[in-house]
Amino acid sequence: MENLNRGGFTFDLCKRNDLIEKTGLKMKGFLKTGTTIVGVVYKDGVVLGADTRATEGPIVADKNCEKIHYIADNIYCCGAGTAADTENTTNLISSKLKLHQLATGKQPRVITALTMLKQMLFKYQGHVSAALILGGVDVIGGVVTPSLFTIHPHGSTDQLPYVTMGSGSLAAMAIFEAFYKKDMTKLEAMTLVADAIKSGIFNDLGSGSNVDVTVISQEGVEIHRGYEKPNERKYRSNPYNFKKGTAPVLSTSTLEPLGSRIIIEDVTMEG
Amino acid sequence: MTSVGSGYDLSVSTYSPDGKIFQIEYASKAVENSGTVVAIRCKDGVVMGVEKILPSKMLCHGSNRRLHSIDLHIGIGIAGFLADARQLVNRARSEAKQYKSVYGQPIPIKVLAQRIASYNHVHTLYGSVRPFGCSITIAGIDSTGPQLFMIEPSGSCLGYYGTSMGKGKQAVKNELEKINFTEITAAEAVKTIAKIIYSVHDGDKDKDFELELSWITRESKIHQLVPKEIHDNAEAFAKQALEEANLI
Amino acid sequence: MEAPEWVDNAVDLGTTIMAVEFDGGVVMGADSRTTTGAYIANRVTNKITPIHEKIYCCRSGSAADTQAISDYVRYYLEMHTQELDDQPVVKTAASLFQLLCYNNKNNLMAGIIVAGWDKDKGGSVYNISLGGSMIKQPFAMSGSGSTYLYGHCDAQFKPGMTKEECVKFVQNALALAMFRDGSSGGVIRLCIIDKENVERRTIPGNQLPRFWEG
Repeated sequence: MENLNRGGFTFDLCKRNDLIEKTGLKMKGFLKTGTTIVGVVYKDGVVLGADTRATEGPIVADKNCEKIHYIADNIYCCGAGTAADTENTTNLISSKLKLHQLATGKQPRVITALTMLKQMLFKYQGHVSAALILGGVDVIGGVVTPSLFTIHPHGSTDQLPYVTMGSGSLAAMAIFEAFYKKDMTKLEAMTLVADAIKSGIFNDLGSGSNVDVTVISQEGVEIHRGYEKPNERKYRSNPYNFKKGTAPVLSTSTLEPLGSRIIIEDVTMEG
Repeated sequence: MTSVGSGYDLSVSTYSPDGKIFQIEYASKAVENSGTVVAIRCKDGVVMGVEKILPSKMLCHGSNRRLHSIDLHIGIGIAGFLADARQLVNRARSEAKQYKSVYGQPIPIKVLAQRIASYNHVHTLYGSVRPFGCSITIAGIDSTGPQLFMIEPSGSCLGYYGTSMGKGKQAVKNELEKINFTEITAAEAVKTIAKIIYSVHDGDKDKDFELELSWITRESKIHQLVPKEIHDNAEAFAKQALEEANLI
Repeated sequence: MEAPEWVDNAVDLGTTIMAVEFDGGVVMGADSRTTTGAYIANRVTNKITPIHEKIYCCRSGSAADTQAISDYVRYYLEMHTQELDDQPVVKTAASLFQLLCYNNKNNLMAGIIVAGWDKDKGGSVYNISLGGSMIKQPFAMSGSGSTYLYGHCDAQFKPGMTKEECVKFVQNALALAMFRDGSSGGVIRLCIIDKENVERRTIPGNQLPRFWEG
């Protein structure tokens, strides 16, 4: 106890914590794998939105990552959860769907992507941590129809006109529940999506940086990377430039450069 | 038998130039050497009868059964190689059991018939196997009423009102065509079948035979051998009819 | 680091579901709440899922498990229909559910009610419990909310009700359970199946039957 009140670090609690952990008690983690992703159906299509923060434990690993993944020309998918899992899951399904499209010669359907995703996630019993929002347009009964689904990591799915997922889903859903209307215009839908994502960015620890928006309709796909940038750095401090002579010169010595030469020798065999 | 020696009759996996698979036809020949089987689908049930030729006088009565129960509601009559046919009977029993455990319902007769037919059919596709040397009739009652099917070595599976397999096939068919199937009852069909089998039995060529009769009726809904009393009556009736015919 | 709650928590149908036979058909009913932990992931869920033209099921337990089972049964039943060349009976669908629920009981959380109409038995209801037993019942309940209902239903049920009597019975029971059970709520979904047709109804949350509220 001699080191009490002397300042500096003490590691006593680490030992204690290790001991407690050995008894089976799990220490509470303190940061979430954070994301806000949303989707909304409007009059003639689907708008998907996502924040752009990627975290590694307590560290923001990427301040401007992409969370809206390509599945097919008419289908996109937002991913929350483990980045590796969402990236690889969407890539795998995208590839399978392309092969299926080549085999059938038809436009891929959202329901096909949904079935493939849910069957894969169910197979892995929740160990693939991918929480997805799947949106797209296809033709059902001769009518171009927008559709929107959520897929949970265990493989359950829901179909709804507006959806949110990730740690910021509560903040985003609050915006949707307050301001969603049926049959919105494209602009209304994009604004609503951006508002929902911003709600996540500002109110959820795990979400942050910019708003990405992707609009899918019969006319095609619009990708708005950085649709809004509410966290741009406005003021940058000047670079650290020190005046010459800030550090005192204590001594000076000059070193001669080393000379160098090449020696070529012939070695002759004897005998 | 123009095919003999041509080489096309050795394997089931090769067609002859005129589009035949001789092994299947030979299998059908095996059926034609068998004792006759007659089956009638009546308005209140299905009846099957077999002319079981006895290869030896020392054979126990009731051995080498040719009428078998598959499930409570289904029976099978067999003609041809008995050993081959018993394989189909075993298969039918396991199909019926499996169907019931998966779907919670007794297997419909048509479904069983088609599954057995598929089993027969796969034995006509590969060089490594030989087709079954037997035909079977499947008789039963399900939710659609009395049903009768016949399956041949080729894997064909057809539903019938009346059908026959074995030696006396042709003669039996002539007799069957006289029957009004929408009116005949199972009780009448038992006597008719007994009479037909006695009339087609060739006593000069063949040894003695034992008459096997089984039925399933809407009343009992169970496939079983015809009770002894009714069986004996039918047999007596058949013998009498035969004697009368011979006198004329 | 511990994974966040919404990744680890399975999506649960903390639920009230029921199905009741009436004279000539069945009425199926369910609340619409889907939860992940304390969060309502879907407040307008449809827990009455089609298995065949006239056979439906009510799902309770894990959403992922029951959706997967229903998908399998729908597929198997369609194959069976092709072989049968006729409409399947409700018991067949129930048997398939039982087969999957029993054989995989260690990996599943699923309480399912199978109901529908067939020409053999008319309307019929089968309850597939958590362990994979199959029981035919004139009326069946399942899910967390059903615990609040047994007494009420035993008192109110009578065999051979008319369609509308039966609908009323189901509505009242569900409303009672939804108000008492925290993990049931939202709207009432109904599905009425008889010889002629399949009718779906939704009763919005503000039009639920009301009872004593203290």
